[in-house]
Amino acid sequence: MKVARLVFAVFLMFSLSLGLALQREGYQDYGQGYGRRYYYEPGPNVPSEFYWSRLRYTSDYASGSSYGFHRYGGGGGWSRDYPKADNDCLIALRRLTHINSPSPLNVVDLDSDHIFDYPWIYAVQVNTWTFTEEEAKRLHDYLLKGGFLMVDDFHGTDDWEHFMAGMRMVLPDATVEDLKDADEIYHVLYDINEKFQIPSEVYVNTGRTYEKDGYVPKWRAIRNDHGRIMVAICANMHLGDAWEWADSPQYPEKFSGLAFRIVLNYIMYAMTH
Amino acid sequence: MFEFFFKYPRSVYTRGHLALLGAWPTWMLVALIVAAAAGLAWLIRARLAQAAPVMQSWRAWVVWGLETLLAAILLVLLWQPAITVAELKPQQNIIAVLVDDSRSMGISEGGITREAQAVKTLEGGVLDGLNRSFQTRLYRVDDVPARIDNLAALRPAAPSTRLGDSLKQLSEETSDLPIGAVVLLSDGDDNSGGIAEDTLNALRARHIPVHTVGFGRERSEHDVELDDAVVAPRALADSRLAARITLHQRGYAGQKIELTVRDVSAGQPKILASRTVTLGAGGNLQVETLMFNIGGAGAKTLEIAAGPLAGEENTANNRLTRVVNVGSEPRRILYVEGEPRWEYKFIRQAEEDDRMVQIASIVRTTENKFYRQGLADLKELADGFPTRPEDLFVYQGLIIGSVNAGYFTPGQQELIRQFVDRRGGGLLMLGGQFALGDGDWNASPLTDLLPTVLPTQAGTFHREADPAHGTTHATAELAPAGVDSIITRLVDDPAANAAKWKKLPYLMDYEDPGIAKPGAAVLANMITPEGRTLPLLITENFGHGRTAIMATGGSWRWQMSSPLGDTAHDLFWQQLLRWLVSDTPGHVAASVPAQMLLDSGAITFTATVGDQQYNPARDAKVEAHILGPSGVSALVEMTPVPDSPGQFQAAWNAPKEGAYLTEITAQRADPATGVFKELGRDVLTFQRMDGVAENFHVEQNRALLEHLSAATGGQYWKPAELGKLAGAIPFSEAGVTVRETKDLWDLPLVFLVLVLLRFAEWWLRRKWGIV
Repeated sequence: MKVARLVFAVFLMFSLSLGLALQREGYQDYGQGYGRRYYYEPGPNVPSEFYWSRLRYTSDYASGSSYGFHRYGGGGGWSRDYPKADNDCLIALRRLTHINSPSPLNVVDLDSDHIFDYPWIYAVQVNTWTFTEEEAKRLHDYLLKGGFLMVDDFHGTDDWEHFMAGMRMVLPDATVEDLKDADEIYHVLYDINEKFQIPSEVYVNTGRTYEKDGYVPKWRAIRNDHGRIMVAICANMHLGDAWEWADSPQYPEKFSGLAFRIVLNYIMYAMTH
Repeated sequence: MFEFFFKYPRSVYTRGHLALLGAWPTWMLVALIVAAAAGLAWLIRARLAQAAPVMQSWRAWVVWGLETLLAAILLVLLWQPAITVAELKPQQNIIAVLVDDSRSMGISEGGITREAQAVKTLEGGVLDGLNRSFQTRLYRVDDVPARIDNLAALRPAAPSTRLGDSLKQLSEETSDLPIGAVVLLSDGDDNSGGIAEDTLNALRARHIPVHTVGFGRERSEHDVELDDAVVAPRALADSRLAARITLHQRGYAGQKIELTVRDVSAGQPKILASRTVTLGAGGNLQVETLMFNIGGAGAKTLEIAAGPLAGEENTANNRLTRVVNVGSEPRRILYVEGEPRWEYKFIRQAEEDDRMVQIASIVRTTENKFYRQGLADLKELADGFPTRPEDLFVYQGLIIGSVNAGYFTPGQQELIRQFVDRRGGGLLMLGGQFALGDGDWNASPLTDLLPTVLPTQAGTFHREADPAHGTTHATAELAPAGVDSIITRLVDDPAANAAKWKKLPYLMDYEDPGIAKPGAAVLANMITPEGRTLPLLITENFGHGRTAIMATGGSWRWQMSSPLGDTAHDLFWQQLLRWLVSDTPGHVAASVPAQMLLDSGAITFTATVGDQQYNPARDAKVEAHILGPSGVSALVEMTPVPDSPGQFQAAWNAPKEGAYLTEITAQRADPATGVFKELGRDVLTFQRMDGVAENFHVEQNRALLEHLSAATGGQYWKPAELGKLAGAIPFSEAGVTVRETKDLWDLPLVFLVLVLLRFAEWWLRRKWGIV
């Protein structure tokens, strides 16, 4: 019995140490089995016109897919693929557009009014998000006042339902629509006439573009009363991985290329509509 | 009293010339006076040593002065001083007696109307007194003079008074008559804006003195009167307009009164705005501004009213009417943005709710890509910023965002100048990292177009350094010139509006726009993190158009960081952009001197006509199509104004009371085919109202009556003093006169002065103890 307790204690200490190591700022495990690591240096906060802002939210244990990562959990929930995916995307933004964005990555919370200083926010694994009434109202106001939310990296029927449960708290009467190729959001910067499912890095080992039962990519959106898209939804896809793995020889370029074009179009749309 | 001392009426002295009738020359008089002064001085000096010690000082020279003065007066009297003055020959001249019979003379004061007072005064001996020496003719005057046989023919009912016009007409009609003087009995309430100089010249040319007799109280005891209400004559549909109301009061200082603006165009009047204000000191002009939404398109008649308050003597002067032509054609703005930024998005978003203003925009998305929005068709702006006037001049406004001046070719920069100067468009420059001074606009040929002198150094643009904590923020506040501006009015109440500006969220960035030029208006300021106050919103008129600078690209935070539903950001931008384009003319810009015709239908239409490039269209065919009340309809051809290329005018007379709508069209023959093609059209409104002017300025206008009499050599009289009128009138150079010489040596005043001089010397000597 004592041995069992000792073994359990050692295992627990090891687990905690590993967890803490993984949570050190800027470090991220970069691909199982490839033995590479990525270090992100945030740098000074340079005043910018555009801040790449990731939404930090409280995850729900019961959603089943986030393995209980809470607000400050690493590797899942709100911070999935952070910071490399975001940083790669920001580099592409700086290189390919005229948007002023020298500032490093930014994380915003729904428990602060400073979210209103950043009219663009990106959220992942939104099947795990939960809101208090106050948080839901803040996001509701944010969107109706002119903010733009892009959501990514959730798959299948259950994830969709969990995402929508949160979305209904924010926008109870919102109508979700499938975006057509002709929609302005796909032509504001690049003319994107052909879209396909953008898989996560799982594709490298399995060749599967889908996860769970999310076989078909859903390019969806919620508009305001004037027809402006305020929530862009990338369901059954993982654009974040496509940015993050863009420099990997194993991850097909066509997915990363489309993912970059999509997000740059979304940002450009958010800044012009 | 005057005549007691001076023997003759005042008019003898004002109109006569002094003369010395003595046979000896005048130089001898001067010499004798000097000799007398010198002799007295020598005498006093010679005896000074023997005089009492008290006199051996300045006192001796006082005595010398008094005696010299006495000697001088006596010498002057020996030269027989007199005054020569022209005097009307008895029974050979006519005195025109004019009685104002406008409606304001019917106002009752102390149980008797002003006109009844005038009649009573005339019948109380004044007319008889005049008739003893002259022939008299009675006239009633309102717009024109009309001769009457007797005072019973007077009816104080005329809807207006034009004293100047009436006097001028009287002078012309009686040019062959020996008019010796005019006696005008009136309250001075002239509705034509005063006595014109040519009227005074006509009276002066005939030397006709006008004696004015004032009736009516010079100050009301209890009255509120609207002096003026200024409302823009044109507006876009659903525009927010300002009514700038000027009023004054008597007897209600400190009391509250409700000001209202009503739309009375339709059958059921609709209140557009109302506000309770506190009345200021009695007689002082007070200016209040009411903001309101003018509503849909069409010709609108607005009634601006105050009160009334309990006990007011005259409530008919509490209302004014104004007409506004509300256009329905949307205005278009070209917005050029050099980089994607939030300000661009939120300005466009603010305009989504304004159906009257449309923004066509180009934003530079990458180094080599542009994105166009708000296009009328796919060809619009396909080649970027226009290079031809006909392509740029289709817009009424132009916004230049964060774009370096070098982005525009010299030809395009000249086009921008012409857009404002010649076409009459509005130009708005925004702050940004490539804007104003940081965009090298300070070295561009367009610097004189801008409302500020831009800083010469770079680095004038600053972003919020720490948006997450907001510790370095720049805030906005209303400037004094913005208090009454329609652009910056976010809340109707002025005090609440100023407070609202102070509460606006901080700006995400700002740029130093330099110093406002003379003539520019700084409507809002910003306080930088270092505590400096810089102009934020500056406007100026330039050429036919207008320019403005909004020295930030970060006002979008007013939208994102204000509570949901707060309209400040959207309202501000809608009002600013409407200001930018509202007054931008089309190819035809029509105007009238005044939209309210009071008691007269005479009106002159003026139209400025430009071709496709807004150059003067000298050879245009311009017509005014007029529709008025009760089926009035007219087509008037307008003729070119000499020395004003592109300007056309037509005079017309509105025959009936009511609202008129006039559409002015311009056509020009195609040089190739000879077929007339329309250049453009414009619509204006005006209204004729009769009998309203007499309700205003009902206090006696004594200043006008005094001015009229003084300018013509007459005199202002109070009714109680009229007994002396007959004695003053004869001394006139008008009519048939004879020159009379009147002695002055025996004036009672002269003897009084002589006695006083001797008495003064005696009294002084006694006081000094030497008698």
